[in-house]
Amino acid sequence: MQDTLAQLSDALVERAAVAQGFVIGIRGTQFQPRSGTLWRADVAVASEQVAPKTEEAEIVLADGRVAQARVAGRDRGTNVVAFRLQQPVEVDLPAAVEPRLGAFALVFGADGGGGTIVRMGVVRALGPAWHSLGGGRIDHRISLDLTISSAEEGGPVLDASGGLLGMSTAGPRGRALVIPAATIERVLTPLLTAGRVERGWLGLALHPVALPEAITAEGGQGRGLMVMRVSRDGPAGKAGVLAGDILVSVGGAPTGHPGDVARQLGPESVGQTIELRLIRSGSVLTLAAMVTAHLAR
Amino acid sequence: MTLLVAIVAADPVRRLGLAALVTRAGHQVLESHGGADVVLADDVAVCSDGPPVVALGVAEAGQAGLLPCDATAAQIDAAIRSVAAGLIVRAADPRRPGFRAIGDEEAPLLTPREIEVLAAIGNGLSNKAVARQLGISLHTMKFHVEALLRKLGASKPSSRTTTS
Repeated sequence: MQDTLAQLSDALVERAAVAQGFVIGIRGTQFQPRSGTLWRADVAVASEQVAPKTEEAEIVLADGRVAQARVAGRDRGTNVVAFRLQQPVEVDLPAAVEPRLGAFALVFGADGGGGTIVRMGVVRALGPAWHSLGGGRIDHRISLDLTISSAEEGGPVLDASGGLLGMSTAGPRGRALVIPAATIERVLTPLLTAGRVERGWLGLALHPVALPEAITAEGGQGRGLMVMRVSRDGPAGKAGVLAGDILVSVGGAPTGHPGDVARQLGPESVGQTIELRLIRSGSVLTLAAMVTAHLAR
Repeated sequence: MTLLVAIVAADPVRRLGLAALVTRAGHQVLESHGGADVVLADDVAVCSDGPPVVALGVAEAGQAGLLPCDATAAQIDAAIRSVAAGLIVRAADPRRPGFRAIGDEEAPLLTPREIEVLAAIGNGLSNKAVARQLGISLHTMKFHVEALLRKLGASKPSSRTTTS
């Protein structure tokens, strides 16, 4: 009879064999090989921050088959690039599972030569939904206790039961994060139909500031966001916001951190009129801005 | 150890901030290249056959020190000391920041006084005029400017701000 360590190892070997059915390599003549995940029979996803800028790529399956694919859409906000395969291939992606703190995480990628690579770690930190610098809403904050290279990110991450946690992504200092499967499912619909994910945009560059005491006492809020730059043709610019104004609330929600603004600017905010409260020359001013979709991101 | 540092900068306000920063790190700022141990070049190309150069914001092969324009005071000081000692300094992979949360690297808060200074500079007033308007000494004014440059990531004042 095998001891537990050998059993654990055998189980990992089995998981890797299953994962080879949906971990893919992405290659082309004009870019470094990347990793990705075969998400549906004709759809693959990869990490947008390292994805090739070209529109076409070859998808290399673990068994050596090659499929031609085109970029269907990119979303910097959730770090997802979607590829459409010209010929569907069979795929059996496991069901998504809820992440658990401390759980084993198996991270798969491609090595550029058609081979699969595996890393193992644990879910080192788990948090609620968060907003990325690109404005995307990520359903869970899942960080792993390992680092990942640009060539490896974009592949699937499984838990010990073989369930799908999501897609690996390199965070600050190369630390591996997971973009949850639910987030990818959510953005795939607009990516495959429109090629992008629309998010609300105000056209402001903001920097956190401490509010003067007099205003803090009146409004009960110690921080605001100073407008450093206004896009002239952006919604905030048209509403009359000027550089130097201090934004204290958007849509009634106090804004002390840049994330507070991002939360108010999800896809559903596009086309809505939103109330901006500002401090200008020591007094509070309320303006209404019609949120538009990002012009360029 | 005190080093003699010559500063070349495209932007005069930025030069002021860098000079204050270098002085606070215990070095002596020179007006010209002559006799300098190290040249600190900000957003300008400097020929490298003189003393070793720490270049901010320009990627020029051949310079001993290359830092991004939003390098911290500690990084600039460390780079000055390192190139003077004959070492080569590079920032760790600036092209791979990684996928991160909005406001992850918490942008430092500007104080109400710094906001006043920023507004005054924004109005195009000279350092002297700003100091007079706010009723502070030129020295204090320089101190505020230095803090602003540090917090905002300097010559591109928007490099640490978030767009929404």
